[in-house]
Amino acid sequence: MWLIFKKEFKELLRDRKTIIFMIGLPLLLFPAIFGVAMFFMSSAADKAENKVLKYAIVGEAYAPAIVQSFSDASDKFEEVAIGNETDYAKLIKNETLDFVLVIPEGFNSDVLNSGQHTLQLYLNDAGLNKVMGRVSDIVDEYSDTFQQTAFSSLGLNESQQVALLKPIEIEKQNVADDREVWGERIGGALPYFIFILCLQGAMAPAADLGAGEKERGTLETLLISPMDRHKLVLGKFFTIAVAGIITALITVSSMALWGLVLSQGMAVEFVVKIMSMIGLVDFFLIFLMLVPVVAVFAAVLLSLSIYARSFKEAQSYMGSLIMVVIFPVLIAMMPGVELKGGWVWVPLTNVALAMKELFKGTMDYFALFGIFSSTAVIAAGLIYFCIHWFNKEKVLFR
Amino acid sequence: MIEISGLAKRFEVENPKKLSEQEKKDPRLKGRYFQSVRDVSFTCDQGQVLGLLGPNGAGKTTTLRMLSTALRPDSGKVLIGGEDVLANPNIARKKIGFLSSSTGLYGRLSGRENISYFGELHGIPKDVINSRIEEMADLLDMQNFLDRRAENFSSGMKQKVSIARAVIHEPALVVLDEPTTGLDIMATSTVMEFIQRLKDKGTPVIFSTHHLDEVQTLCDKVTVINQGETVFNDSLAAFSALSGGQMHKSFLKTLSMDSEETSNVVNL
Repeated sequence: MWLIFKKEFKELLRDRKTIIFMIGLPLLLFPAIFGVAMFFMSSAADKAENKVLKYAIVGEAYAPAIVQSFSDASDKFEEVAIGNETDYAKLIKNETLDFVLVIPEGFNSDVLNSGQHTLQLYLNDAGLNKVMGRVSDIVDEYSDTFQQTAFSSLGLNESQQVALLKPIEIEKQNVADDREVWGERIGGALPYFIFILCLQGAMAPAADLGAGEKERGTLETLLISPMDRHKLVLGKFFTIAVAGIITALITVSSMALWGLVLSQGMAVEFVVKIMSMIGLVDFFLIFLMLVPVVAVFAAVLLSLSIYARSFKEAQSYMGSLIMVVIFPVLIAMMPGVELKGGWVWVPLTNVALAMKELFKGTMDYFALFGIFSSTAVIAAGLIYFCIHWFNKEKVLFR
Repeated sequence: MIEISGLAKRFEVENPKKLSEQEKKDPRLKGRYFQSVRDVSFTCDQGQVLGLLGPNGAGKTTTLRMLSTALRPDSGKVLIGGEDVLANPNIARKKIGFLSSSTGLYGRLSGRENISYFGELHGIPKDVINSRIEEMADLLDMQNFLDRRAENFSSGMKQKVSIARAVIHEPALVVLDEPTTGLDIMATSTVMEFIQRLKDKGTPVIFSTHHLDEVQTLCDKVTVINQGETVFNDSLAAFSALSGGQMHKSFLKTLSMDSEETSNVVNL
């Protein structure tokens, strides 16, 4: 069996495509996701913040002070004359303007007599823009001034003012610590990436070791060697599983490494928070839980590969498998699904849930027994099926 | 001595509706099953070379696959030196060297690594494998490409490595399925010389072919299979005598066909 494993692994390491999926992708995917997402998010936010907004104010005569504030901020706002045009939506859609502010007749600072004033802001709010915020920054200054004037004329002290503004306040006392909050957000999505990477890492060798043998015409020669069929299958199974485990190891290491780089070197706030909460033991446990998962993947992939007539057919079966793998991870992401009761025994879903719990710091370590035993039983059953499959002429000589 | 008697093998047809009209008329098609081999029997003695002839689809490859234990027959017997191949396939596998018609090598391994791997599968010590590889490299003229990756080999190079791989464990019987198909004259000649050398060493060789000149040059015995049944099994001399020394006519006679009908199934 080890002879088969040794030979298969030697071949595997000489295959550039496998190396890319097994090592390159997991090593670069996390920095790529973090880096690209952060770059685009920050550059889009900067652009929205610094863009000179083209505007028009209707009813300028009722609020000369506000009009003056906009024209004073000429590095941020540019007034555009619109004449008698009243189709503001059209002006905004054809990008003549970014917004139109309509000030109502009778606008004044005496809010006690005139009541609340409603200013209408026309803007295109689709996509990332900061129009509302930037306009509010200017208008709110006047809103606060009007409020202060009204409170002063009523002779209210500071405490009365606060009580009048919000007579009842609910103060949120969140008992979840930061780790739980971030763990819930990140731990739910992370298994999705990790599972897919492990599957990808095992896919290329699996296609080669089963269907590849048929396509090359080496299967027949292998079948008539004096090696027991179960040893042939186990040799191939271990090769695929080790490829998947290497991918898992590199994925988790890459996650830890880039987490450190982003938190220590680049001081990215949310990564700093996460990294300060998660220890090396957690990363090790994540890796450990991936081992039986990879065994399940390896057994399924090898069965599909043995059944397929050609490399291409194997790849198409394996492509569909991604959808099957995503499903239990999606279940784990659903609200209310926790690592309790029956879910501890549901393969793949239980590992995805456990990863989330590890990130949250709320892991019940007794659940590991259920996770390992259920996944190991499934993996063993699938390997048995694989051996049975490998003994069927109907499958081998399709 | 190799003794094959009453071999039969049928396959389930995956989609009978997709068969051509000619295939549907084949008497071997029974419902969802195709009786590829119905009754094949022949013997081959020590040091003999047996040529297995037959038109395409006659059942030659299935017969050789059963002989080599790749397929399990539905009925019949295969004895190699008295050892029942079907009862003890792993013991029989050590005694058989098989070259299939689809020459397959592991492309990312060198020629030497390909041969060595199969030697190790047979449990041969590494130093013995190395010396046998050197010996065969000289015999099959492989020295200049043996350490290159097999993915870039020509058909001739692949076939030479495949033959070496099939006999690395010095089998008691060598089975070759169309060993010269697709090879150039030089490679064919090397393969023929190699078979002759096996014969000289006393190793029985069974090989299927469409080339009657190869049969005439190498074989002691001839077995003709048609529609899954043995239709001739005797010495080369007896085969040749069927039509006064004209091999192709003898072949036609065994099939009970005229030359028009068989022009597509044999290289004259």
